[in-house]
Amino acid sequence: MLEIKHLTKIYPDGTIALRDVSFTVEEGEFLIIIGLSGSGKSTLLRCINRLIEPTEGQILWDGMDITAADAVQLRHIRRQIGMIFQQFNLVKRATVMTNVLSGRLGYVNPWASLLHRFPPADREMARRALERVGLADQAHKRADELSGGQQQRVGIARALMQQPRMVLADEPVASLDPVLAHSILGDLERLNQEEGITVLCSLHYLDLVQRYATRVIGLRDGRIVYRGTGDDIRNMTDAEFKEIYGEEAVRVSVGPHAKEETR
Amino acid sequence: MTTTTQRTTAGVSAPTAGLASLFVPGLGQMLIRQTRRGLLILGSLVSALGLLAWRVHLIAHRTAGVWPAFEKALRRQPVFVGLVTIGIIILWLWASRDAYRQASTGQPGGMGIFVLIVAIFFVLGWQIGEIDLYKAVTELPDAWPPLSKVLWPWGAAFVRETEEIGASAPILVPCDDNPPAPPEEVAGQPYVMAEPTCGELSSLDENNQIIPGSRLTLTGRGFAPHTETQIWWADPLGNEFRHRQGGEYVTVETDDEGRFQVELILPYRLVPPSAAGRQIWHVEARQVSAVGDLKPSEALTLSVGRMVETIFLGMMATVFGIVLSIPVSFLAARNLMSGSRLTLLIYYLTRTVLNIIRSIEPMIWAIIAVIVVGLGPFAGIVALTIHSIAALGKLYSEAIEGIDPGPIEAIQATGATRLQTIVFAVVPQMIPPFVSFSIYRWDINVRMSTVIGLVGGGGIGFILIQYIRLLDYRAAGIAVWFIAITVAVLDYISAEIRRRFV
Repeated sequence: MLEIKHLTKIYPDGTIALRDVSFTVEEGEFLIIIGLSGSGKSTLLRCINRLIEPTEGQILWDGMDITAADAVQLRHIRRQIGMIFQQFNLVKRATVMTNVLSGRLGYVNPWASLLHRFPPADREMARRALERVGLADQAHKRADELSGGQQQRVGIARALMQQPRMVLADEPVASLDPVLAHSILGDLERLNQEEGITVLCSLHYLDLVQRYATRVIGLRDGRIVYRGTGDDIRNMTDAEFKEIYGEEAVRVSVGPHAKEETR
Repeated sequence: MTTTTQRTTAGVSAPTAGLASLFVPGLGQMLIRQTRRGLLILGSLVSALGLLAWRVHLIAHRTAGVWPAFEKALRRQPVFVGLVTIGIIILWLWASRDAYRQASTGQPGGMGIFVLIVAIFFVLGWQIGEIDLYKAVTELPDAWPPLSKVLWPWGAAFVRETEEIGASAPILVPCDDNPPAPPEEVAGQPYVMAEPTCGELSSLDENNQIIPGSRLTLTGRGFAPHTETQIWWADPLGNEFRHRQGGEYVTVETDDEGRFQVELILPYRLVPPSAAGRQIWHVEARQVSAVGDLKPSEALTLSVGRMVETIFLGMMATVFGIVLSIPVSFLAARNLMSGSRLTLLIYYLTRTVLNIIRSIEPMIWAIIAVIVVGLGPFAGIVALTIHSIAALGKLYSEAIEGIDPGPIEAIQATGATRLQTIVFAVVPQMIPPFVSFSIYRWDINVRMSTVIGLVGGGGIGFILIQYIRLLDYRAAGIAVWFIAITVAVLDYISAEIRRRFV
């Protein structure tokens, strides 16, 4: 479904964020990308829907090269790919309903939407999306009145409005506490299992990765240093851990990790 | 550790650094790689010396030679010249010691030297600013009468219609056998009677000394009680003038029953030769009394009218300013304009122009606008609009630069068009700063428009400056009060709106 070939991103200041990254994503996967901050996870996700322009390489979406798509084609591809962000990226002063409806922007008449006019069917769809994430009664509140977990659910509802085939989640739980983290990832897992939506998610915490991933890619300094299935990550060795997180990190986190291994 | 090694690699020993700074202040610091510190010391010392030389030249002007001029200045203003001279000498020595100590210990120099520099410039500033606290205190009583009128001008806010009443009596000049009889008394009318009814005018002798004329007693009755009454004369040609005695106008106050009595010396007046001979003069008592209801004075009605004009002037300028500054602000926002070299050039150009316009005060824009569109409120609107565009353009563009890029990428990721992204992600973020800055600007513009009239830009300042020039401090006070009230109310309203909106 998604094939990334030799993807490289070099920022104008010379920073090399991605070096020759290649992998494929199959329909229905819950693929998690792990790695330290600055390892290129966010850049990778943003290159897929070209929020960031890749420097080199190809990204094939159903065989079509996203990197070569023109503006109209790109919008058509983008609307099939929902995106969820670490900072939720809601329009804080707009209502929850408006935020959710904005997920339809790629489908509706662009001129009517400028006046905030959406077809009744879309409004109905937005209500169902909010119901689904348990926020039906919050529809008319301002987005910034909601708690962090609720805001991320609005983000999920917005992504759902795109009727996406794939969801890109950029550290969706990094701003939330552990309990909320599980509940948000649980939501994503349900979408993945019930709707068959492919999920491509970047995460920090290994325990979350082990719990939700069907497949894992480890990034370090813009290079893929680890590939494994969900089972592989549950039996990760110290050497692999070091490979991804570096020598320094091993010493800090070896305790709980070692405990888990002996269990 | 690293700093010490750095110092050593500078290759300058402590005595060398100290001597260098003694020779040229700051040089030692520069040699031990404290270039900026050294330059600052050198710059301060040179400019302090230059300023001192300039002031000494002004104090002891037309004294040839450096030393005599300095001596003379020291005699005239010992505190100022002495303090600055001592300060500069200490600074010089301190710079040397500073360089020596830094070079020998490797410790960074303290802030003390900069305190001394600030102190020297403070003393210079005190003298250059001609600060005279003694004068400010001692001359305060002289300023009190006009000031009190400004502080409480409301006595002049309302006036009554006035009516003039008066009565006159004929006086024969000079006396002859047939002096005129006192006038007939009519019941219910004011009446004056002179005793005697004839006399000699005052005159000048050959040394231009006044020879007083004959005296007469003027008795009046039937006037308004307890009212100031003026004494006037009418010469035989019908010219009227007020009676003076000892250089002062003569005013009497009537008693309970509206009567008065006053002794007058006949005035000095050049009489045309054709009128020589027997002349009938008239002496007259006049009263101005207030009748009718209180009504607003001209100062009050004018102030209210001009105040309204001022508020609308500020409002119109703000509206034009907002409308015109929005497109400008997009050109001045770095995050929108950093796409290519051309747009970046436009960005820098817009920023520069905005900064230049903004640095010129609205008052100066008003002077220019008056030349173009003439006196009146429109000139004020033009001036404030120009300044508002620059000020708001900068504030708005900074607001645009400060928006959160997160929602923008989120909306882009949904497949939205560029326009949709602006409407859904940029505009909602722009509303609070736009509202806030716009109201703030309205507030500023109304305040500015009160003074823009000083240079002919219309509004209340226009009449304020006129009243001040006419020394009509009460009327000026009324205008000042209206300005103060309006600004206070506006401050409150704008704070309130901003609180609700943002």
